Amino acid sequence: MLHCIVVTPEQTLYDQTAEFAAMMLFDGEIGIAPGHTPMIGRLGYGEMRIRRGGQIDRLYVEGGFVEVLDDEVSVLTQRAMPAAEVDEAVAREQLSAARSRRASTPETIAQRDRAVEQCRAQLRTARRAR
Amino acid sequence: MAKARALDRRRKSIRSIRKITRTMELISTARFKRAMDRTIAASAYTKRITLLVGHLARSGLEVTHPLLQTHPEKKSAMLLVLSANRGLCGGYNSSILRLAYPRWEELTNIWERATLEVAGKRGISAFRFRKIQPDQTFTHFEDKPSFAEVDVLATRYLEAYVAGALDRLDVVYTKFESLSRQHAVVETLLPLADLGAAPAEEERTAVPYEFLPSAASILEEVVPTSFRVKLFKCFLDAAVSEQIARMVAMKAATENADGMISHLSMAYNRARQGQITSELLEIIGGAEALSK
Repeated sequence: MLHCIVVTPEQTLYDQTAEFAAMMLFDGEIGIAPGHTPMIGRLGYGEMRIRRGGQIDRLYVEGGFVEVLDDEVSVLTQRAMPAAEVDEAVAREQLSAARSRRASTPETIAQRDRAVEQCRAQLRTARRAR
Repeated sequence: MAKARALDRRRKSIRSIRKITRTMELISTARFKRAMDRTIAASAYTKRITLLVGHLARSGLEVTHPLLQTHPEKKSAMLLVLSANRGLCGGYNSSILRLAYPRWEELTNIWERATLEVAGKRGISAFRFRKIQPDQTFTHFEDKPSFAEVDVLATRYLEAYVAGALDRLDVVYTKFESLSRQHAVVETLLPLADLGAAPAEEERTAVPYEFLPSAASILEEVVPTSFRVKLFKCFLDAAVSEQIARMVAMKAATENADGMISHLSMAYNRARQGQITSELLEIIGGAEALSK
């Protein structure tokens, strides 16, 4: 069994034992089953799925890190929420705002791309949670 | 009768003040509990970040990052003062300002350019009183500072530091140590002194971690994150300490009011008794005079 913990600076959002967890790394999804090798990874924006006892918990996780050690999966992120709480309308609005943002320097372009990616990840997560 | 009535009026006003201070005490107790819960929740995150840094460091990685490097030139410094929006909290604001003034003098003297940012109405007005105009002021940090709000500031500082527009960031706030100990401190947050990698637990030496994508890239992310969390912790500590300070001050005020009420009650009863006695004496004296 895995011990799954999701913490943000404001709260411990999730603390359960599970059979399997999957989350978005910076370059794609990773699945973690019991007995996984010790790992520290950078997270991307996207959905985190945790399977326990036949049910699947879905969370939206925005960046941060994951550390796996001795069947304990700790996710440290700046922002996370249950997938059901992602507001699709707001995300869509933010997406269009981010896309129409003017960016001329490399930093602002990176900022814009990040915002766009975050909004898309939110939409994707929300769609899957439905 | 005049004296007794005046005493009674004073007693009434003190009673109503006591009601106010008592209510404020209760409110700040409730707020303190909420703020405390948030601090505990945040410390769970901080602890894990510290552990992670420890694991990174033990994997033999050279810990270097732009945020950890001290800029050699003394160009621009910034002072961030975290005070309260409201008063009636004992020495909370004054002890912060007592630390903030000398540090501000020091920064303006030594550094080419110093900027001042103040959170909390009390601090803003105190600096204005001294004819110091803060460059930025914030009043939206109440007793529940949210991470997103603090993050806006943190991002601005980080960007300025990396771009070289900021060489040093000092924060004056009240550090929360325990329920009975909080004191104002000045801390230098940028350059980051250390990441607090505790080499305490040595028994699990060198777990062969797999780093995705690489230890260096993770470190690149961890350092700014740990700065953000440190700044957030400052705000949380300040919020908790403010509520404790107010709680203590209001408790003392309520107790003082109790003392004054009992004192005034005694004086009032004496005055009333004295009046009755003198009235009785007048009547008896009058009756005696008539019967003669």
